[in-house]
Amino acid sequence: MPSTKKSVVSRSSAGQAVFDTIAREKRFRNPPADKTAFPALNEAVRPHVDSWNAVFREGGCLHQAIADIGERTVFDRLDGNAETGYGNKLTVRIANYYLGKSMLSSRDKTAMKREIYPAECRERHSSYRGQLQLELQYKVNNGDWQKEYRDCGLLPLMVMGNRCHLESMSPRSLVDHKEESEEIGGYFIVSGNEKLVRMLIVNRRNYAMAVIRSSYAKRGPSYTNMGVQIRCVRPDQSCMTNVIHYLSDGNITFRFSWRKREYLVPVMMILKALVDTNDREIYEGIVGLDQREDTFLTDRVELLLRTYKAYNLYSRHETLAYLGDKFRIVMQVSPDVSDVEVGKLFLKRIVLVYLNDDGDKQRQLLFMIKKLYSLVAGTCAADNVDAAQHHEVLLGGFLYGQILKEKFEEYLLNIRSQVRSDLMGGAKVEFGSPQYIRKMLGKVNERIGESLHYFLSTGNLSSPSGLDLQQTTGFTVVAEKLNFYRYISHFRMVHRGSFFAQLKTTTVRKLLPESWGFLCPVHTPDGSPCGLLNHLAHKCRIATITSDTSQVGPLVLTLGVHSAKVLPVPTDATLSVQLDGRILGWCSPRDARRVAESLRFYKVSGTHNVPLDLEIGYVPTSNGGQYPGVYLFSQEARMIRPVKYLPLDKEDFVGPFEQPFLNIAVTDPEIKSGDSHVEFDPTNILSIVANMTPFSDFNQSPRNMYQCQMGKQTMGTPGTAIRHRTDNKMYRLQTGQSPVVRAPLYNTYGLDNFPNGMNAVVAVIAYTGYDMDDAMIINKSAHERGFGYGTVYKTEKYDLAEKSKSKSPVLAFGWGWAAIGADAAALAKYKAMKDKYSETLDDMDGLPMVGQKIVEGQPVAVYHNMGTGETFFFKYKGSEDAYIEEVRLLGNDVGDSICQAISVKFRITRSPLIGDKFSSRHGQKGVCSQKWPAVDMPFSESGIQPDVIINPHAFPSRMTIGMFVESMAGKAGTLHGFAQDSTPFKFGEQHTAFDYFGEQLKSAGYNYYGNEPMYSGITGQEFHADIYLGVVYYQRLRHMVNDKYQVRSTGPVDSRTRQPVKGRKRMGGLRIGEMERDSLLAHGTAFLVQDRLLNCSDYHQTWVCRGCGSFLSTTPTAAGERRAEVRCRRCANKATEFDIGKKGYWEDGLGNRFIGGEDTTVVVIPYVLKYLDVELLAMGIQMKYDVSP
Amino acid sequence: MQREGYVPPTAGGGAGSGSTRPGGAYGDVPRQTSMKYLCADCGKSVTLNKADPIRCKECGFRILYKERTKRMVQFEAR
Repeated sequence: MPSTKKSVVSRSSAGQAVFDTIAREKRFRNPPADKTAFPALNEAVRPHVDSWNAVFREGGCLHQAIADIGERTVFDRLDGNAETGYGNKLTVRIANYYLGKSMLSSRDKTAMKREIYPAECRERHSSYRGQLQLELQYKVNNGDWQKEYRDCGLLPLMVMGNRCHLESMSPRSLVDHKEESEEIGGYFIVSGNEKLVRMLIVNRRNYAMAVIRSSYAKRGPSYTNMGVQIRCVRPDQSCMTNVIHYLSDGNITFRFSWRKREYLVPVMMILKALVDTNDREIYEGIVGLDQREDTFLTDRVELLLRTYKAYNLYSRHETLAYLGDKFRIVMQVSPDVSDVEVGKLFLKRIVLVYLNDDGDKQRQLLFMIKKLYSLVAGTCAADNVDAAQHHEVLLGGFLYGQILKEKFEEYLLNIRSQVRSDLMGGAKVEFGSPQYIRKMLGKVNERIGESLHYFLSTGNLSSPSGLDLQQTTGFTVVAEKLNFYRYISHFRMVHRGSFFAQLKTTTVRKLLPESWGFLCPVHTPDGSPCGLLNHLAHKCRIATITSDTSQVGPLVLTLGVHSAKVLPVPTDATLSVQLDGRILGWCSPRDARRVAESLRFYKVSGTHNVPLDLEIGYVPTSNGGQYPGVYLFSQEARMIRPVKYLPLDKEDFVGPFEQPFLNIAVTDPEIKSGDSHVEFDPTNILSIVANMTPFSDFNQSPRNMYQCQMGKQTMGTPGTAIRHRTDNKMYRLQTGQSPVVRAPLYNTYGLDNFPNGMNAVVAVIAYTGYDMDDAMIINKSAHERGFGYGTVYKTEKYDLAEKSKSKSPVLAFGWGWAAIGADAAALAKYKAMKDKYSETLDDMDGLPMVGQKIVEGQPVAVYHNMGTGETFFFKYKGSEDAYIEEVRLLGNDVGDSICQAISVKFRITRSPLIGDKFSSRHGQKGVCSQKWPAVDMPFSESGIQPDVIINPHAFPSRMTIGMFVESMAGKAGTLHGFAQDSTPFKFGEQHTAFDYFGEQLKSAGYNYYGNEPMYSGITGQEFHADIYLGVVYYQRLRHMVNDKYQVRSTGPVDSRTRQPVKGRKRMGGLRIGEMERDSLLAHGTAFLVQDRLLNCSDYHQTWVCRGCGSFLSTTPTAAGERRAEVRCRRCANKATEFDIGKKGYWEDGLGNRFIGGEDTTVVVIPYVLKYLDVELLAMGIQMKYDVSP
Repeated sequence: MQREGYVPPTAGGGAGSGSTRPGGAYGDVPRQTSMKYLCADCGKSVTLNKADPIRCKECGFRILYKERTKRMVQFEAR
């Protein structure tokens, strides 16, 4: 027997999918003291952590930003210094910044450990922050620079970033610091919540994109829909978008936006301002030697040059002065700077800001003009702005750095305006005196840390420039630790931008082939965010540093490229070679191909100093396709992914720009001649979560999408440090198992640390009728053994400081006292109250007792006013019974205050109930409809009873064959005792999954096809058909009836309409809407309609006057000699003296006497009718009701 | 009735104001007011009086856990 077993095992793919139970247990008890066992997890969050590090490292983006901000000046306008005519000049600049780790404040004198670790921030519901300090320098006139160090508040720090205590900690010490052994970081802790800045898709930087957009035509008269757009990104990652527009007369204008305002400048003016040039050079720069006969182009260039003559600006100097004059106010330049200097500043700050050299800027601008005319002529196509080819990813760290840069800049501007307001306010302004400077700085808002804290906690961006982004909200999300799939997905998620969510068109949501291998085609939610919220493929990385490309420029020139600086370029050199948007030179189409191929060979072989992650986008000449050229990219924020380079059989990294022009085979057998690359694995295109769907290639694709959704809603294991977490709501599956059927990637990502479901014996059979319509039957004994048993943890913070306005504590936890001199009754009442609540509350400190059960309305904690002794309670608001799991007493930041806040964790047991939702890993969800007694369950010949019964009808239309394969594989795996590899794309027509697992079943003595004869549990008779019985991994989803059920007979009503309120939380009802009503009417159930819409809603009896048909004129008579009745005041007449003598008059409440108006009666109406009547009356409309009979 | 500021009763009963209050003014609050908690960092037991700041006396850590109740906790097992 072992021999046959052996043969089956050996066919299993390389034994990669293994349980490794012992190794796992050992690792769990003894976390490694050197490095993590699952580096893939750290790899997954690298975009976040590395971007943070790139910003805050020595010489990182923030240092560059500080250099870029430069100096700001302000004059005191005093006549002490007459040299400039503006008085004394104060120049300020930020020389450096210092960001500390998270430490205790210096006010705390006693603590032994001064570090604040992330776990403490989670437990105390505080934020993980470090001190930010700026080194401000200032000088007066031309004096020496003076230093001033300013504290700028506490800046939120990224966990695992280079300012985090946990960076480079071993798993063992991580556990010692109350973290997961595989803590990955990449998020911020804000008020105890884990927040991350989500990745956004933005346009590819430093690449001129030809765009056709109807909104361009709306810029003004004669504007067309064509333009060329370039998103310029400075080395500090701040960006500036420049657009050139084509006007219908052939002219071109340059557009940019500065502090959220848009400006238009003739493009010629900028060309002339950049370098000393003449019309001929510009003409030759746009019209290549080969295009001299192209009258379309030459006509337009001629016009471009001719119309500019109107400005009468001839030299560079004149042009700069003109620009400087116009933009002096806009750019807020100091008054002592000359117009020419302002013009230069304009070019530096606004035009193609990623280039430093004005010659480079001019060449790129000329290239853009060429491209625009080509677009207009139709010789090139517009670039698809929705394709990944023209995208990059705005990383959280970089966005954070950009915001900081802007806050720094704002700070300098604030200093300037503070000085100005001091001058206006008549305060004594002495730049020379340090006292004044310090006093003035004290009045400037220096709370930079707080503003970033606000950004993280709300996700709102408040910025004067808008940071060149299309949205101002929704930048951050909470990294929910519902289960690990959901958690890790947050870090791999890229959003297209909330601006696109409002678009009516669906083009942005389309799955385009350009995103192959970069964005997962399966892992996107259905519904409104579909296609906008994508996830990175698991092997996709994002570059976070600029590679060293200093040698690429010279190298390219040796490969037959003509330098752009040497004019004129030869006739055949028509294609540009650009490195990160800088034109290196021009070459012929034939040479371009050779250049690209040589560069690729060099970069993979690692020679000639070409970096491996250089993106070599060779766009060949085509008939009206993408504008050709060789575009090299080496900078940050690009998506890159590994593929195998065939000529060298080595790893190459490709980016989305070059990928459409490469021939990448998917599998080795598919390699054709001409292919340059092959995928390492076809599953590389899938995200982490999509890879966890077993045999997903057997399923219909939407089912795999559903599974990606449901995998993230599963009640699983959020982590192992649950004890030290205070998430608002956390789900936990008590009986999680390692799946028998799993891909080796499951082990690579260490997901056994976070089990997400249970292996269940599943029979596909229509058994009791309780499995209809996606319901499933659970074996009651399985349930009793703990199948699907879960727990919900809720954490609530009870803060006394929030309740009292004053700074020093007024309230304290614990029982208060009855007022002094209170009488015996008051004392007895007080004692009774204490007795009543003694069940849950601790007498001594007024806090809940750990381990105690608590039900709705019972007090969680008691507190009192320390002055009056008055006692108050925090009551438990949840509708479900809970147990007090943990009680934390939270000190303040310094640890010198009495207890003002506690954090209570409640445990709510969630045993599976009828109505709870379960799903397999194939998008096959269902609700539990019965817990069927084991004695009545069907059983197989070997005596196996299913844990779960599902209906066969779940399969034909959904075509989740993967579930059948999993069932067989799971069965074979359990029988033989090994884990099954469920990686998709492993089986084929020749080597089928069914044969492979069928053979395994056969060798274990089971039916080859996976069916078995089964017997009815009730009659004991064998079923006519064999039943498909196997082992499937089941997930319990977080949607549970206890959170959903809504029922009421009577309950709260809306005070205005007297109709039942809506909403489950308020004990409201479910609305029978118009369509439901129609349906009931169509069924002829009028009585039911009346019952629902009237009797059980706002049934109301009211008096109405038959005579005038009004509800509102009826009034009860004041009880006189007769019984009180209801009369109509409108139909009644005022009683005269004469009438009073007679009988039959009536009196209202004020004693007015009337006669008549007896014709009233009681009718039943919906109460809203009366409300409507009143509303209409207020508008002067009377309603009259005919009452009959 | 003039009321002086809140004087937390201490375990030693040294504070005069506590004993001068009319008997029964506290209802039946037990005299013993110090509680034992666990430090969230070093795990040591911390005895705290009502007026003490929340921090571990050993290591100065700012979070304390409440110990599980000593009272018998009994539920119906269903």
